[in-house]
Amino acid sequence: MIAVSRAAWSTFFLACALSIIWAPAAVAKTIQIDDTGTQSLEPSVSLHWKSLAPSRSGADNTMLGTSTLRVRLNVMPWLHRSLRIYLNLPAQQPGPISITWLTQGRFIAGQLRSGNRVLVYAGPITTPFLEDTLNVQYSVDGSLVRRTFPVTFHFETDED
Amino acid sequence: MSGAACAYTATLSAASPMTVFLQVGVGTFTNPPYIDGGQPANNTTINTVSASIAAGVAGTGTAQTMTTNSTQATSYWDNYSYCNVPGQIYIGGFYRTTGGSTTAALVTATVPAALTDTTGDTIPFSKITWTSSGNGDSGAEPFPAGTFVNGGVQNVGSMASNTWDESCWTFSYLNNTLPPAGTFTGVVKYTLSAP
Repeated sequence: MIAVSRAAWSTFFLACALSIIWAPAAVAKTIQIDDTGTQSLEPSVSLHWKSLAPSRSGADNTMLGTSTLRVRLNVMPWLHRSLRIYLNLPAQQPGPISITWLTQGRFIAGQLRSGNRVLVYAGPITTPFLEDTLNVQYSVDGSLVRRTFPVTFHFETDED
Repeated sequence: MSGAACAYTATLSAASPMTVFLQVGVGTFTNPPYIDGGQPANNTTINTVSASIAAGVAGTGTAQTMTTNSTQATSYWDNYSYCNVPGQIYIGGFYRTTGGSTTAALVTATVPAALTDTTGDTIPFSKITWTSSGNGDSGAEPFPAGTFVNGGVQNVGSMASNTWDESCWTFSYLNNTLPPAGTFTGVVKYTLSAP
């Protein structure tokens, strides 16, 4: 039986269209990676003026601080799989902050402004822990610095 | 996935939150100018501003422009030829502070009551005035024109936080009285006070 009424075809196409529109998109789940083995060589980061003397306009109030970070990520759950790892620097007080970092080669060097994340590793996981030493430079507007303050960031990955 | 996920926290603090620099006359910068990485240094030189008044001119009321032994014509900010020596003396500096302070730093002059000679004769310091300018400047100067007080501390300018401020002063002796002949001297000390 192949005879189909016009009304039946209309219903069929409408159903298809609705099913396409309503199909839920696959949402990646972001998973924070265990970095409990990560430690800094310095207990705190000292900020210094980028330029000791200011400009005539007072426009550049940047302060810089550096630290050496031994990153140790527990990637056991992804052993023998391929993984993309991001460094996430959430927006936080006292305001916009930027970090740049150099690596020993395991991770990807880069820069990041608070409120964003950037890829630092993409590849297979062959060992339970992923390690690298990062030379991190923090950059913040000195007019925002009123007292000692914490800067928090983490490593994360996405899973479907 | 299971595991003890956590975030890393770094603690940041300002190591040298406040820096002040004031230069009156000659100063010192290592590897000037500042915009190319130069940094301010200490200079203890005391410059002079002077005028030699001829006998026939003394006391006539015709102001006498004073000259300085300062050789500082350029601004250490960019090596721009900012002042004209020996007719002008450079004054400039800055104060650096964290936290977005809006309170200005003050520059004051500590002035003796009078210039004196070796025999005790005096000329009031209020007989000395100055104008303020700078090559290429327009608008108000951070260190404006003024007249010395006869003894005391007076404000001679201010600096907003985190800005470089500078002016060139041209001093004059009013020459409207007739003191005894002689060499009259006095020392004015300038101080930068940051909040």
